Formats: sequence, structure tokens, C-alpha cells
Amino acid sequence: MIVQREIEDAGIPTIIIAALPPVVRQSGTPRAVAPLVPMGANAGAPNDAEMQYNICRDALINLVEIDSAGKIVTLPYEYIAKV
Amino acid sequence: MAVVKGLQSEIFVPITPPPVWTHVTKELKDMNIALVTAAGVHRKSDERFNLSGDFTFREIPDTSPSSELMVSHGGYDNADVNKDINCMFPIDRLHELAEEGFIKSIAPVHIGFMGGGGNQEKFEKETGPKIAEVLKEEGVDAVLMTAG
Repeated sequence: MIVQREIEDAGIPTIIIAALPPVVRQSGTPRAVAPLVPMGANAGAPNDAEMQYNICRDALINLVEIDSAGKIVTLPYEYIAKV
Repeated sequence: MAVVKGLQSEIFVPITPPPVWTHVTKELKDMNIALVTAAGVHRKSDERFNLSGDFTFREIPDTSPSSELMVSHGGYDNADVNKDINCMFPIDRLHELAEEGFIKSIAPVHIGFMGGGGNQEKFEKETGPKIAEVLKEEGVDAVLMTAG
């Protein structure tokens, strides 16, 4: 999130796909989306191209739609890893 | 937590830094997008990250096949990303979005680093600005990140 902030500060808009929304909130993310995924599969379940595609597309849509710094939008995709 | 001017807490609490914000001025169909990940992604031929803390970063050419990418990161369970790099570095999905015209193009170089620890001051003062410079030079309009 430090790096996200530095990129944003340099004049490039950013959005982060986060598995841990409280952490990105605390560290001052400008924009984030949070699918219901474990850390390590932020962009969706392994080999689930459809879920990954939807998460990436929705993240990009929210890049444009989020209108104030620090907003985190939950995405309706869920993956529970079998550990 | 009560906010009183001049009050000093006896307990250490994390402080959220002030907001940063750059306005989006283009539509997605006109944007050149880069991926940046804190998940420790790099090419198999690159030097691995030092798992006990590493503030360096790797440039990942967009032409790298996803089968030639790997992760070295000591801070999370790599099981999913070892099965499919797209879990943290959705490069194949980004190519699909560009082919459909959902975004205009993909930057020639993406960035991987090992987040979640390491020298925070170096990340803020050196690594972060250096990464931003690479992205600016290649004309990136917006960045899709995975981390946290």
C-alpha cells in the first residue's frame, strides 16, 4: 500500500485488489476492491478464469467509479481455499 | 478513540496516513494499464526475492508467458499462486480485457515486488518512486494492483 500511494502520488490513478480490507484501509489506500478471497488468491481462485476475469473487470470499473480517497468496495465473488 | 488536541496516547496505535488521490481523466477503453503486485511475482529467470525482507523490485515484460512466472514471497501461503499465477498476477485476464477492447492497451512492463514487510522507509522513499518512474516512462494511464 506504500507503493500504491507512491504511484498515486506520482500522478497515476491506482486500484488495489485486496484480500484484507482492514489492512488496506489502515495503510491509506486511495481505492480498493475486496472480493471474498484468502490472501494469496486476491484475483480469484486458481484456474477459475471466469472469477478472475470478473474480479479484474470489476476492479477496473471501480477505478473509474470510486469518487473519494479511501473507499473500499466489496465484490460479490467468493473463494474459500481448502487448506 | 477519543480525539483531543494535544492528547498523547500511552498505547502505540497505527495512524492512517493522509489521503492521496489522482483523478481518473480517461475512459477505460482509452487506458493503457499496468499490473503492479506486492505478491513477490517475477520471471523464473530473475533473481528471487530475499524472503526475510527485500525492497527491490522486478520488471516483468508483458510478453512473458504466465508459465514463465513464479513467486518468491515469505509472507503468505503460496499454494494457490503456485497452481495459477493469475491468482495474484492476473496477466492472462488482462490480455483478455484488452483483446475485447474493454481497455485500450497493456503496458510493456509490469512490476513485481515483495510487500508485507521489509524496510518500509526504503519502500516509501526509493522503491515506490522508482516504480512510479518506470510506469510514467511507459505511459501508463492507470495501475491495477494486488496486495494486502
